[in-house]
Amino acid sequence: MPRAIWSGAISFGLVNIPIKLYAAVSRKTVHFNQLDSRTGSRIRLRKVSAIDGEEVPSEAIVKGYELSSGEYVTVGDDELAALDPEASRTIDIEEFVDLADIDPIFYDSAYHVAPDKATLKPYALLTRAMEESGKVAIARFVMRSKQYLCAVRPKDGALVLSTMVYADEVNDPAEIGEIAGLEDVEVSEKELTMAKQLIASLSEEFDPARFEDTYRQRVLELIEQKASGKTEVVAPPTPMAEDKVVDLMAALEASVKEAKAARRRHPSAHADEAEGAPEAEEAPAPKKRSRKSA
Amino acid sequence: MAGDRREHLVEVDGRTLKVSNLDKVLYPEAGFTKAEVIDYYVRIAPVLLPHIADRGVTLRRFPDGVEGESFFEKRCASHRPDWIGTFPGPGDRDGTIEYCALDSVAALAWSANLAALEIHQPMARGDDIDAPTMCVFDLDPGPGTGIPECARVALHIRDVLDRLAGLECVVKTSGSKGMQVYVPLNAPHTHEQCSAFAQAVAQAMERDDPAGITSVMRKSERPGRIFIDWSQNSRHKTTIAPYSLRARPRPTVSTPVTWDEVEVAAGGEDLVFEASDVLARVSEMGDLFAAALELEQSLPGVGG
Repeated sequence: MPRAIWSGAISFGLVNIPIKLYAAVSRKTVHFNQLDSRTGSRIRLRKVSAIDGEEVPSEAIVKGYELSSGEYVTVGDDELAALDPEASRTIDIEEFVDLADIDPIFYDSAYHVAPDKATLKPYALLTRAMEESGKVAIARFVMRSKQYLCAVRPKDGALVLSTMVYADEVNDPAEIGEIAGLEDVEVSEKELTMAKQLIASLSEEFDPARFEDTYRQRVLELIEQKASGKTEVVAPPTPMAEDKVVDLMAALEASVKEAKAARRRHPSAHADEAEGAPEAEEAPAPKKRSRKSA
Repeated sequence: MAGDRREHLVEVDGRTLKVSNLDKVLYPEAGFTKAEVIDYYVRIAPVLLPHIADRGVTLRRFPDGVEGESFFEKRCASHRPDWIGTFPGPGDRDGTIEYCALDSVAALAWSANLAALEIHQPMARGDDIDAPTMCVFDLDPGPGTGIPECARVALHIRDVLDRLAGLECVVKTSGSKGMQVYVPLNAPHTHEQCSAFAQAVAQAMERDDPAGITSVMRKSERPGRIFIDWSQNSRHKTTIAPYSLRARPRPTVSTPVTWDEVEVAAGGEDLVFEASDVLARVSEMGDLFAAALELEQSLPGVGG
């Protein structure tokens, strides 16, 4: 069962319809972690000062807006919070438009709108009315302290909400020189007819299921091959601190002694070096061949 | 803390080997470093090696310590030194892959330097991967249960095995939450025979004490019960080796224990040993798991 990412109500005239939003799309991009090829260690990013390279603690980091003079205006989180759109829990329908009037370029992320179990009727009523009138609702709402413009439309008996980009966020194609140059091109009637015939011969009903992400498939196959074959963790780096070969126990002695002394000094001295999530008994093992064990 | 990120060339057991980042803390809660992990494995080697040297092991590596990501490494790393041998073992599909042979102090130091905290062993030797040398009952405490309940089930298994067929068994902590009871065989058996026997015992015990024991893997059956995992006897499965460290918050060890200790634990005493405890125990008590290597027994119904 997917988790709701927002809950509130659709506000429609005097009616409030309690709803929850669920992500309508799960991206299936293959995710990689960055590793140190020499040790297999995960890479951790540190925030460092550009002046001296020292790590900067998060409480010391503020937002700065660069002015044309090269100076910065710093803005505190509390100052920004004061400007936050009021975190109302309603999706306020402002108008109804024809679906065809919305250019797809405005659509951003899609969410399934789920009704509250106790108030199915007003949800069903709104959905049915929108279906029969062929209209799409334009609304505003606030999610994660950002105000969104959105389109709510019926789809297969339920509502789908798509957040939309604002008009001033869409780049003007006229600024792209090659596109601007199209106006002056002339095509003959005969060429146009031929091109239209070609289009007609390739016309199909759109069936999204016929298209697969073949690149992702190939990446997964590569990973599968590697996982069932070589588990390559690149050999440690070659530069040696010293070429002198010493006895292992002698090499360990100083190190072990130091670790024990550190524990006596600060019984929890190393706690702040911890990183990553605490590990449960059945830790996530990235390799496919994990076996259950005691 | 001054980190020793450098590498050293060291000599152990006549082999030359690179070790690195000795001061890296692998168990942050305990401040236990990689140097201490290597030190433990080198010192425990005399009792650990006889149990693993003759079989291909699976390494569970924690390059960033116990709180970081880990991975099971079955196929022995291709960058291993040429003196690290391998044994064939079950592959993913058909066929075999090469598992590391940790058969010397130097080999143990090498794997410890790779932050292979946990060493998991199959039931069979590398020279005959279809013939388990022992049969295991892996006791996994469900939510709401712990070592005392495990200890009681372990004692119960010991009694059942004795009454059923006069079989002797040895016992160890998992070093994590549970315990394992092993029946030494060292006589011809198949994985199927071991699995079937362990399953039959587990099911009989479940019928006897359905409130406290389950023989099925379903998580929903586990709360309040001890899961007797008989399926660990499969050809392709491995179980934590005796004397292996565990990747827990503290450097605990899968520790062979005496039945007297199990009886005390059944009464509610703790039964947890860390690396330093185990080294002290071994110098005092020797290898409590020696029977697993020597005792020849046959499961009921198996010829001989």
